[in-house]
Amino acid sequence: MKTEDLVMNAARRRWLLRGGATLAGALGAGTLGNLLLNATPAYAADYKALVCIFLYGGNDGMNMIVPSDDARYNQYAGVRTGLAIPKASLTPLGGVSYGLHPAMAALGTAWTNGHLAPVFNVGPLAQPLTKAQYRAATANSPILPSSLFSHSDQQILWETGSSDSLTRTGWGGRASEALATVNPVISVAGTARFGLTALQTPLVLPGPGSTFGAYGLQASDTWAPQLARKAAIDALYAQSQDVAIGDTYTAMQRDAFAMSARLSALVKTQPGEAGASAVIDAAFASLIVGGKVTTGLGQQLYQVAKLVAGNATVQGNRQIFFASMGGFDTHGNQIVTGSPLEGDHARLLKELGDALAAFYAAMQGLGLGSAVTSFTQSDFGRTFAPNNSTGTDHAWGNQHLVLGGAVKGGATYGTYPDLVLGGNNDVGQDTWELQGRWIPTTAVDQYAATLLGWFGASDGQLDAVLPNLKNFGSARKLAFL
Amino acid sequence: MRLADQATFGPTESLVTTIQAQGISAWIAAQMALNSSRYTSGNGGEVHQYTGSGDFCDGKGTTCWRDWSSTEPLVWDFYRNALTQPDQLRQRVAFALQQIVVVNNLEVSGTYGFRLYYNNLIDNAFGNYRQVLKKVALSPVMGDFLNSANNDKAAPNENFARELLQLFSIGTCELNPDGSLKAGACTATYSNDIVRSYAYAMTGWTYPAGGATPWGCWPAGMNCRYYGGDMIPVASYHDANERKLLSGVTVAAGTAAAPAMESVLDSLMAHPNMAPFIGKQLIQHLVGSNPSAAYVTRVASAFNSGKFQSFGTGVKGDLAATVAAVLLDAEARGDTLGSRNAGKLREPAQMFTGVLRALNGQSDGDALSWWWGDALRQHIFRPPSVFNYYPPDYPVPGTSLVGPTFGIHSANAALERLNYLAYLLDWGGSTPSASVPSAVGTQVDLSAFVTDAADAAKLVDRLSLLALGQALPATPRQKVIDAVSWWTAKTDATNWKTNRVKAAAYLVFGSPNYQVLR
Repeated sequence: MKTEDLVMNAARRRWLLRGGATLAGALGAGTLGNLLLNATPAYAADYKALVCIFLYGGNDGMNMIVPSDDARYNQYAGVRTGLAIPKASLTPLGGVSYGLHPAMAALGTAWTNGHLAPVFNVGPLAQPLTKAQYRAATANSPILPSSLFSHSDQQILWETGSSDSLTRTGWGGRASEALATVNPVISVAGTARFGLTALQTPLVLPGPGSTFGAYGLQASDTWAPQLARKAAIDALYAQSQDVAIGDTYTAMQRDAFAMSARLSALVKTQPGEAGASAVIDAAFASLIVGGKVTTGLGQQLYQVAKLVAGNATVQGNRQIFFASMGGFDTHGNQIVTGSPLEGDHARLLKELGDALAAFYAAMQGLGLGSAVTSFTQSDFGRTFAPNNSTGTDHAWGNQHLVLGGAVKGGATYGTYPDLVLGGNNDVGQDTWELQGRWIPTTAVDQYAATLLGWFGASDGQLDAVLPNLKNFGSARKLAFL
Repeated sequence: MRLADQATFGPTESLVTTIQAQGISAWIAAQMALNSSRYTSGNGGEVHQYTGSGDFCDGKGTTCWRDWSSTEPLVWDFYRNALTQPDQLRQRVAFALQQIVVVNNLEVSGTYGFRLYYNNLIDNAFGNYRQVLKKVALSPVMGDFLNSANNDKAAPNENFARELLQLFSIGTCELNPDGSLKAGACTATYSNDIVRSYAYAMTGWTYPAGGATPWGCWPAGMNCRYYGGDMIPVASYHDANERKLLSGVTVAAGTAAAPAMESVLDSLMAHPNMAPFIGKQLIQHLVGSNPSAAYVTRVASAFNSGKFQSFGTGVKGDLAATVAAVLLDAEARGDTLGSRNAGKLREPAQMFTGVLRALNGQSDGDALSWWWGDALRQHIFRPPSVFNYYPPDYPVPGTSLVGPTFGIHSANAALERLNYLAYLLDWGGSTPSASVPSAVGTQVDLSAFVTDAADAAKLVDRLSLLALGQALPATPRQKVIDAVSWWTAKTDATNWKTNRVKAAAYLVFGSPNYQVLR
């Protein structure tokens, strides 16, 4: 066996053993039911969870949050023209000169409670970057993040907290490793790079109502031919493989059996069922039809809510979750011509806002509001200037949202871009390139460091997880947490 | 057996016999001569010609959207062809191409248009990659998907231009001929102004004539959405300025849309990245996730020369030569056995078909889309975006290697792979659906193997030879035989032999030895 395998197995054992230690007790009846008492659960005293919601395709942050003072609104409307969200329709954010896209009105409560914070013009950076530096840099200068404006590369930079898209591991995964969390990143949205470590994939769980287990091979399957079949499967997956990816494959399979034994009952629970939490169900009520959560992100965040509430089963006092939505690559039909409040982007933001609001309400209801912080990520922002197909193209810096009881909300963070095509924030200068692609003024690293600092990472751990953070001097974190 | 896994949708006992009798090179040549698979199911273009009131599907029954707008009818064709049509290699290459030049049914709809698109890929599987790209660039399905249809010079949409460069032809980083990054780092292949130049050069195309809506067609001078043919140029929307493209190609001022498109294709075909970029992905789809640099070089060389042994026309971009180079290479034929870097995690669709073909099964594909396709994140024709189901460079944890299929593999997927086997073997698969034309359900036929079931070891070894090309390793082999042997005339007088086949097939196809191709 090679060293890499030994290391991997050691890491895996730690994860599985810790997790499995109280398996029998954890699955006892009423674990979730106890939370219905609506008191802050005992574990909340030292429990924290981060929930990343990745908006694949590049969310148009320029229409998600819009300046509402006359001067800047007019600048905005002047460039956005038909794509502009009418000022009167914006969901007002009291105390600041911005409003949310009206499809996200459900987040108004969190704003009023001071638990929602927009963060402006965030994006991948290797170091602080001025327009002059950007313009002077050669195409492959290390001061520029790699392959700007490319979906796959910019997703990787956001997910890995890096300026190099060859980076293999995610910042969520590395943080889990650095903080020795019991579980790896738990993803309810597939095998995203955010949760990868050098040794592990994120733990991917299916949605509510799904069976997370192998039929006929679960603990309850005790008929002799089933046991014989399981013994044979175990023997097959215990074999060292001739190819390296085969060893990863068998390790993932062994983990899958162990994790499904622990989590399958919790994963399967749907609203209203015996093991369901009345608090969570009430918070998601507007998204539940016929006993099922209706939207994709709603299902994912309902699952995360159960996993937070079911901490006795899930284990660990620090947990990073990953959820996602797709479809944000609104090159065309971002709006319906003549009706800027309709169209693809409004539909997407409604799903996002409704699901975030329900999840926030669930955490508050569980008494875990200040223990759980949600935040958005996305490939990139979109061009400030629309294209000819009622859409927008790929850009760079973008607006993001952070939500939770610990968030110092009711205020905005970062610096809103100067809404001038060809201005100080725009990468463009010549007439052909005046689309408004903002050079970020806050780095993903600073955004992530703020989140991870709250989560419990020391300065040393932050430097290890986010290797470019040192390039930002003393401006390591923002103040939103 | 290895070739059958690389070049078909899975070995059968008779296929392995055929390849062994014919010889590998002759078998490949014979395969390339076949051209029998076609997408034929689903309805026509009337869905984009409706000028009545209400919705097109009003009053047309519950399967209207499925049969007129979705790709489901094509999924039926895909799996039927994969299981029964003899032109297996053509289908595998087309399947690889459809994962490179990706469109999806999430963002655009119109069954008849997808039918044309994928039939083009089948037709051109052993043609020239330039022709593949040309058909893709002129496809109204692609035009709708990536906004190159009705693209106006006034504020061109960059979507298609960017992905044409990044995904369909040359990639974002300069490559050596062996597919590795120049100087070991990413040197950008193009800048944003190049992307815009391509976007401008490809403005001024609209849908073919034939579409209609109750509200007329917009914008003025452009045709309504319609997928029944190639896109056509509209001069007034086409950019007339000089545009500098890659490879030293310039579109002169005043060039019309059609010749400008030829210049776009010229500039891409001339780019040194294309051969290793496309060649390496073909290797990854057909053979292994981590080909050696020398292997990529040999395949890229065949792409560039258009010739490999007796295969190909000698024109750059020849896919017959490229595919032959992929499959006949010593590395594909087994000289890396024993290398830690070899192997490929079987794609879910390959597993679906592989088990069905080996076990003399049949499928109309109906259960392999929304059910098993979604469960394993490879629902044919519905990849989440133009970036396919997974990236070609997805890192495999615990190694320094990549594994594209690992991009959709997880603890949950690991269990679902076994559940698919439980579905086929223990639950009896699916019976034919009344709503699917000529439905056959999804079922295996174990009768051919029941004849060996009295001898558990013989049964397990026969299935192992078919699925793996060799016996299982001794320790797990014995456990498998033990599990199979539980079934006897005493435990189930009626079905013990069939139950033995089910147990043996579950374990052999559920083994890591099968799931990870060597």
